[in-house]
Amino acid sequence: MTRQRVLEIAGLAVAAAALVAFPALDVPAFYVSFLYMVFFWIAMATSWTILSGFAGYWSFGHAAFFGAGLYTSATLATKFGVPFLLTLPLAAGVAALLGSGIGFVVFRVQRLRGELFALLTISVTFVIAAIISNTAIDGGAGVNLMNVHLPEVFGSPTGTIYLLGLAMAALSLWAAWRIFRSRLGLGLLAIHDDEDVAEVKGVPTFRYKLAAFALSAGIAGAAGGVHAIYVGYVTVGETFEITVTMYPVVMSILGGARHWLGPALGATIVTGALYGFASGPEASLGRAGIALGLIVVVLLLPGGVMPGLIRLRHALRRAPDRVAPAPGLAAVPKQCPAQGATPVVALDCRGICKTFGGVQALKDVDLAVLEGEILGLVGPNGSGKSTLINVVTGHHRLDRGTIALAGARIDALPAHGIARLGIARTYQIPRPFNRLSVLDNVALAARFGPLARGRADAYAEAAHWLGYTGIARRADALPGQLNLHERKFLELARALAARPRILLLDEVLSGLNHTEIDAALDLIRDIRAGGTTIVFVEHLMRAVVALSDRVAVLNDGAVIAIGTPHETMREAEVVKVYLGKAHAS
Amino acid sequence: MRIDLRMQSRRLVFAVLVCLTGLWPDGAVAQQASGKPIRIGQTLSLTGPLGQTGLTHKIVSEIFVEQLNQKGGLLGRPVEYVLLDDQSKADVARTLYERLITSDRVDLILGPYGTGAILASMGVAQRYHKIFIQNTLGIAEQATYEWHFAASLGGAEPQNTLPVKLFEAYGSTAHPPKTIAIVTSKFPSAQYMAQGTREVAKRVGVEPVLYLEYDFGTRDYGAIAARVKDTNADLLWVGALGVEGNQLLEALEKLGYKPPRHFYLYPSSGPLAVLPAADGALSLTSFEDGLPYTANPVSAEFARLFAERAAKAGLPYAHADSQAGNEYAGWQILTAAVTATKSLDDKALAEWLDKNEVETVLGKRDFGGKWHNSRTDYQQLRQVQDGRWVAVWPPEKATPGARLIAP
Repeated sequence: MTRQRVLEIAGLAVAAAALVAFPALDVPAFYVSFLYMVFFWIAMATSWTILSGFAGYWSFGHAAFFGAGLYTSATLATKFGVPFLLTLPLAAGVAALLGSGIGFVVFRVQRLRGELFALLTISVTFVIAAIISNTAIDGGAGVNLMNVHLPEVFGSPTGTIYLLGLAMAALSLWAAWRIFRSRLGLGLLAIHDDEDVAEVKGVPTFRYKLAAFALSAGIAGAAGGVHAIYVGYVTVGETFEITVTMYPVVMSILGGARHWLGPALGATIVTGALYGFASGPEASLGRAGIALGLIVVVLLLPGGVMPGLIRLRHALRRAPDRVAPAPGLAAVPKQCPAQGATPVVALDCRGICKTFGGVQALKDVDLAVLEGEILGLVGPNGSGKSTLINVVTGHHRLDRGTIALAGARIDALPAHGIARLGIARTYQIPRPFNRLSVLDNVALAARFGPLARGRADAYAEAAHWLGYTGIARRADALPGQLNLHERKFLELARALAARPRILLLDEVLSGLNHTEIDAALDLIRDIRAGGTTIVFVEHLMRAVVALSDRVAVLNDGAVIAIGTPHETMREAEVVKVYLGKAHAS
Repeated sequence: MRIDLRMQSRRLVFAVLVCLTGLWPDGAVAQQASGKPIRIGQTLSLTGPLGQTGLTHKIVSEIFVEQLNQKGGLLGRPVEYVLLDDQSKADVARTLYERLITSDRVDLILGPYGTGAILASMGVAQRYHKIFIQNTLGIAEQATYEWHFAASLGGAEPQNTLPVKLFEAYGSTAHPPKTIAIVTSKFPSAQYMAQGTREVAKRVGVEPVLYLEYDFGTRDYGAIAARVKDTNADLLWVGALGVEGNQLLEALEKLGYKPPRHFYLYPSSGPLAVLPAADGALSLTSFEDGLPYTANPVSAEFARLFAERAAKAGLPYAHADSQAGNEYAGWQILTAAVTATKSLDDKALAEWLDKNEVETVLGKRDFGGKWHNSRTDYQQLRQVQDGRWVAVWPPEKATPGARLIAP
């Protein structure tokens, strides 16, 4: 452990001890309560960011989970005499169950993303509020907790509530930090950027979103439970009011919703500002000032304060490039298939059918891809090439037929399951995760690939493939800062970092100039030499002929020819498809 | 020397007599307040959804403190009013009362505005053993703190006493109502009163033909109005806050329906008074800007000052009403206890108030009801007549020349 790390840990320990002991100091209780409010909003904002900041599913209904927890604690403590502290895990549990239940239904419906998800969460808030308001849980008159007993730490209930708030904030921050550095966090950030691609890269999107929703709702529920005893008298109107929902959003955006510490920073700033302008005549002006300040900060730092601070820190330290120079092509071990050996079928597609509405995109496609070969897949636009890749990778479900990888059926598996078995793809139009760095983009593929690498290994693997594809110096850049050539190679590096058994390259050469194409062809040959089977979708015939061991021609959703490049491209039907009837005859 | 003494004695007797008649200008007899200020803290909803009503309370408090200091302060010391904005939120009110008591170290506190904020801050007062005088708590039975004192006049069971008063008033008319439609906001205090009204109605033989609750913040009253019209009850009782009553009446008007008798619980006084469809509407009151409430010179001066300041602040209804009167009474109760006990000790103040009555702009206040509410419900009924509110019930407290108008 480095000296700096030891100092960091010691600093944290001292800060934690000081925070725990704070109520015991001879300070006015107001400061204890004020800090509780800061902790409360830290927990709420962090809970929001785990779902909405990380995964990009914006919840405008966090008041529902907060309220579910709050009323669970209030009801159990006042109507059933349950000791208050025991009600807190139940409050978290009820809210988490509610979140999971909603997630279980809505995450299965693809169209319920973006604004529709946000609207749905608002509706949930209304429904929960209506249920609580119209039943004995509240009935409309509110629940009074003034006579609920709370153990007194540091000699007063305020001290106990403070510690509960501190524990809640610390736990939520710890959870956010762990998630942020884990596979789950990387997966959620990828879901935020492009959920479909994340799934194809091996991220179990449904499970991850559900976990994030449950955890996010659970934290909000626990915060609600503690807040019930803090306020002492709870009503439906105040519990489900719009600011309970909006404050965490504002705090997270201000602090940086994609960073684990951002919401805490935002919560501290906003809560401090709210209480800083509580005095008489300045109150209204103060509130307007806060709103104006927020607008200015959001305009100047669209990613939030925390990422801005991190950028500043990097700039001050002048951090060297994290990625070593490209190791060169020799880094890939050569495992050429043995000459004359019996061909083994790596990927076997039989009788594949796929329709979209009235259009049949694939018609009884039979295609066997041999181990270690480069199979060129060609055909005119709309012939079904991309659809074939999409069904093989699990992005689209088959209507009929089977797909087997090394003899085992994979057509019923979800896309992330298929990715983990070793099938990787690139996209014709690059679809990187735009808010992840180039290095993170590639590391994600390594973490969720068949080898499921750990964090350090994944980044080493990513560095290797960035060097291999020649874009190591752009490791810290965002994909939007890359040119087309670099973005194509990022696609390739990302696919290679998964160490796939089968690599599906979808028009990887389109848009490149001659020099770049030659470099790319060398690269692809080298990848095959490393033992990877490649399916190579391309319009550029020069490249197809030069590169492919075999070529399959698709037209109108059916395979019309397959064989060596020269034989296949001479077949009459292929010529007819490409050059017209006259040339065929 | 003898002449001087005689002259001084005559001047003193004259001054006392003039003071007793109330003609001597306040400032002229007042001792100059001196010494360390007595700090009295309060939070009000200066921002947020209750901000408009909070402003009324703020104006009243400032008037009272100004008058108090002009008269020599409290116990000879100037009074400093420490006002914080609770943003219309109970949790903020609770935190800020802790600030007032433990950080700002005020000597005394007064309760905030709004049921949620009152109950949340009452817990803080209880924890620090501070006397807690509030003036707008809608659910009297929730105030279980032994040093709580209500400035308002509703008594400990307004959910029973108000409807009794209402049915008594209508019972005195030619055609008392036989059916009632109750429509209420799900705001805690409004719903509490609505449920009480339903029970009392059954008890006195008035049939509740409709009981409908709507969410606080509802804007579209079309469907509710249709239900009200369908039942065509003799009396429409609306648990309305703010302009909800106006919105319901406008929706009823669109359906071509005018309730024969109608009552509104906590309406915005101005907007309802000027709405033509509201003519004949009843509501509660404990103070209005006019006789008989302003017969007392203190009340009259308060009403005059309030009208002046409210107009300057741009309030839509620049007249003192129950909200304003209740706040002023709260200050009167607190300062009366301090003056009588010559103490700022919360226990001494509470014990004194427990045993004594205080003269306020609302009338003489006792705390003989449960949890130091008034012994009974002293509130009056007011009615919109020709675009203004007039007190109509009980008859002995009615605005001169006014009487309850009903079919």
